[in-house]
Amino acid sequence: MASAASTSPSPLIVASDVSRTYHLGASAVPAVRGVSLSIARGEFVALRGPSGSGKTTLLNLLGLLDSPDPESGRVMVEGRDARALSENQRSDLRRDRFGFVFQTFNLIPVLTSEENVAYPMALAQVPAAERRRRARALLQSVGLSGKEGVRPDLLSGGQRQRVAIARALANEPSVVFADEPTANLDSHTSEEILDLMREINAAREVAFLFATHDPLVVRRARRVVTLHDGAVESDVPA
Amino acid sequence: MIAVVGFGFASFALAGGFIAQTFEALKEGTIRSVGDLQIVDKRAIGKAEEATLEFGIPDARRARSIAAKDPDVEAVLPRIDFVGLATNGIRSVPFLGVGVDPGPEAAATLAPELVVSGKYLTGDGGEGIVLGTGLASALEVKPGDRVTLMATTRDGSLNAVDGVVEGLVDVKIKELNDRYLAGGIGLVSRLLQSPETVSKLVIFLKPHSSTRENEAAARLAKEFQAAGFPIAVRHWKELAVFYGQVRLLYIGIFGFVGAVLVVIVVLSAAIVMTMAVTERTREIGTLRALGTRPAGILGMFLSEGVVIAVAGCLAGMLFALVVRAGLNASGIILPPPPGATHGMPIHVNFYPLAYVAGLGAMVLTMSIASFFPARRASRIAIVEALAHV
Repeated sequence: MASAASTSPSPLIVASDVSRTYHLGASAVPAVRGVSLSIARGEFVALRGPSGSGKTTLLNLLGLLDSPDPESGRVMVEGRDARALSENQRSDLRRDRFGFVFQTFNLIPVLTSEENVAYPMALAQVPAAERRRRARALLQSVGLSGKEGVRPDLLSGGQRQRVAIARALANEPSVVFADEPTANLDSHTSEEILDLMREINAAREVAFLFATHDPLVVRRARRVVTLHDGAVESDVPA
Repeated sequence: MIAVVGFGFASFALAGGFIAQTFEALKEGTIRSVGDLQIVDKRAIGKAEEATLEFGIPDARRARSIAAKDPDVEAVLPRIDFVGLATNGIRSVPFLGVGVDPGPEAAATLAPELVVSGKYLTGDGGEGIVLGTGLASALEVKPGDRVTLMATTRDGSLNAVDGVVEGLVDVKIKELNDRYLAGGIGLVSRLLQSPETVSKLVIFLKPHSSTRENEAAARLAKEFQAAGFPIAVRHWKELAVFYGQVRLLYIGIFGFVGAVLVVIVVLSAAIVMTMAVTERTREIGTLRALGTRPAGILGMFLSEGVVIAVAGCLAGMLFALVVRAGLNASGIILPPPPGATHGMPIHVNFYPLAYVAGLGAMVLTMSIASFFPARRASRIAIVEALAHV
């Protein structure tokens, strides 16, 4: 199994022999088994595989939303061992260096588009005026000018995902994790969203890591990692 | 949840206002009866008289003028407490008598308001007497009838005087109504053959001086001592055993009801907050993924609890004010309190302390009720929260 990213300079995230096992009652279900992977700045990577292959679990481990089994390997983020980080340090790292896009958008329903985008900046204690300016600029960059004061329930699926992308970019992250970002969108909207992500990837040098089984995403990726039964089956440039 | 908090707050505010009004009325009624202070002979403290006026204050006129000179004193009422027999010529009934100076007594106390038939004593009282309705009924007399009063004098002999029934009073306590008799100091002094001696001086302070009760008491004690009177000054609370008992009873009842109310609000709030955490599990996961620290989630739910408490209290305040106005205008008569024969119209005071205490109690209650669901929310594993359906 080749590792296309192994030669990339200054990896943002390096997973070394990580495993994750879920315990359901008496039975142990290995979701990710001994995966080693690195993601570099500006990459556009698709994690693909059948349902249950461990895509989302691996994405969660790399995004510090979950932790590998204690006896397994480690995840390094910009040179820092995630195991050595406290819960607050992990939260701060996600806030400052990562962005997240979810299949079901996961916008806060009581907040407007602008407020949703501004939320991660508020966590980072960006001054209110600066938050507002940046949130509006981000919404404009994803094609949602004029929708600043609209709540998510009045937006279409594609518009919600655009808000989610703008929110993911709020604190100028080095990598955006996207879990099945097109699963709830029609093909036309999916194309638009992926085009937008590619533009952002190119313009801002933000790495994108997708967990997906959507061929549209796989076609646009510059690197495709295929998982099977929790292990990396292939890791090749697209 | 806001409705539950609002109801809890309104209950606090209304009950607090009602209790405050009840205590105030009870205190006012007690003071109107026993005065702010009483001046008695030192020997009378903790002892019962074996003979009439054994512990009386002699030279009552001079004693009265000493008290009247105090700048905080509004009225000085001499009183003679005695017991005796009243007879209509056919039937004799024991009575608890009090000798009073009718003019000042009528001005300072509720005595004239208690008259249900005839009139209260006037001038120096002359031969006039007023009887409790129960005593008058036992003697089968009415205003205008003559009654002979018999009592033991200071030297132990029996004496009798005639009195004319001026009026009948209802003193609100049935047992006392059956025994109550009041006459002018002059008539009573003749009966007891003890001129210029009284059982006590009842002192009423000026309204603005009621908070200076202790200072006035100390000053009076000093003045009387300097004038050679071996007296003691007693405060109204020492004399109002009934007031203290009723107060404790009410505090017990309302305290229990308040505790039940707090438990209801805590349980309701805990259920609502737990449901909120469950319903918003995915949102919690999203916020955590975006970088919100666990303490931020805890703070968020606690803040929501406090905001709900404040909003509920504002709604409850409006509700309480409306209900208060309705109750005060309703004219509902409450059942008589312990020992009384007449009910009183319901009246709920605006008692700011009850509103402040209600707000404090609701904020505290909601904070406590929110804490455990909030802590649970802050500890949810992010991936489990994101996968929550």
